[in-house]
Amino acid sequence: MTNLVAERRFREIVPPLLDDAYTLAKWLSRSPTDAEDIVQDAALRALSALSTVSVDRPKPWFLAIVRNAAMTFMARNRRETMAYAGDLTDLDALDSRGDDEAAPNPEQALIAAQDGERLRQAIANLPSPFLETLIMRDVNGLSYREIAEATGAPVGTVMSRLARARAMLAKTLRSEP
Amino acid sequence: MTDPDMDERLLRLNAALDGELDAMAQLAFEREMRDDPALAAEYRRLAALSDAIRRHAPREAAPQALASRIAALAPPAPPPESATATVVPLRRAWRDWRALAMAASFAVLGFAVGAGLTSLRTPSRSGGVAQNLVSDFARAEIAGQPFDVASSDRHTVKPWLADRTTVSASIVDLAAQGFPLVGGRIAVIDRVPAPTLVYRHNEHLVAVTELPPDFTGVRAGGGVETIDGYHVARWRDANLAYVAVSDADETALAEFVAAFRRGSGAATEPARP
Repeated sequence: MTNLVAERRFREIVPPLLDDAYTLAKWLSRSPTDAEDIVQDAALRALSALSTVSVDRPKPWFLAIVRNAAMTFMARNRRETMAYAGDLTDLDALDSRGDDEAAPNPEQALIAAQDGERLRQAIANLPSPFLETLIMRDVNGLSYREIAEATGAPVGTVMSRLARARAMLAKTLRSEP
Repeated sequence: MTDPDMDERLLRLNAALDGELDAMAQLAFEREMRDDPALAAEYRRLAALSDAIRRHAPREAAPQALASRIAALAPPAPPPESATATVVPLRRAWRDWRALAMAASFAVLGFAVGAGLTSLRTPSRSGGVAQNLVSDFARAEIAGQPFDVASSDRHTVKPWLADRTTVSASIVDLAAQGFPLVGGRIAVIDRVPAPTLVYRHNEHLVAVTELPPDFTGVRAGGGVETIDGYHVARWRDANLAYVAVSDADETALAEFVAAFRRGSGAATEPARP
């Protein structure tokens, strides 16, 4: 049986983060129903963890659990592999302005970004290390340090993944539909 | 094919957008941006993208069924009906209170018109909150650190504040009215972190702290009072309670408040009963 302290901590921490957790899980699993299972699993893990740990920064802590629950879920339930070895060399592959002769036109990029469905599709197509970094930053509002904490990656890696994720999105949105 | 300088530049651009640069680095970056149109254009493009992501891929509400299942994992100690019972009267009380506050603000207005604004300059003992914020303001000014995130870009300031507080700050662009945004910081009131926006007006600063609307100690009104030599204005709208502290003169502060209310309140002003 779970103890009362854990339950009290749980009530303080988890319900306020539910929307963040659900949104993250939905992006990572790309499925609303799977997202519910993932969040429920994460909540159970959080509840049992809270009987032994107290938490300084609830948001990165709980979102880390959600992220790990999503990984486990995907590994168990999907054939497609999530494995990806991303590290500091991520940025090496980045040619953010390689196609410079066509001088990227800000207006054009902006208009493209107005097209919500296209943008969401472009986000969903990001490889998972970039996807999770982008969502944690721009949707969940975590700081770089918190994303590093939640994903277990060094801050430098978080920075390069985020820069690359945005560059990839911008590039996709600039290209012809 | 990798150009380390370009990588560095790109990382810095992203960090600036995310409010992750410290004040000095941000200052250097903003200066650089002034002299480098290409960098500025790149920054705008990145900001537009970030904006579009927030708009088109917003945080979604968890389904009610999921919320109920999660809540059931750790049911609260008191029976649920007592919990719901307190919520409704509170809301109602808040509505009544707002009507009272509005009446009070008319009374204050009448008083101000009758007695002249100078009578409001007498030091007020009214409130810990304002006194606290004045001390905050003075301390920040003396320390030469009026904000924790230095940026004139609300796309930077808003998420920075949102990460650290539970109040969703309403940031009004008042540059055209002579009050450019210069940064943000966190004020701590009754152990609750509250977003504070810092605007500049000539050589002076105006710091606006935004509090939950039910925060006690922030009276409605709109008059300018003086605490410890600083001018203070307080007001509310449907969503938030505000306290502005400034070292500018009271006319400037009153102008600021009017401009801020026009900017923030237009969409959120509650319907008059």
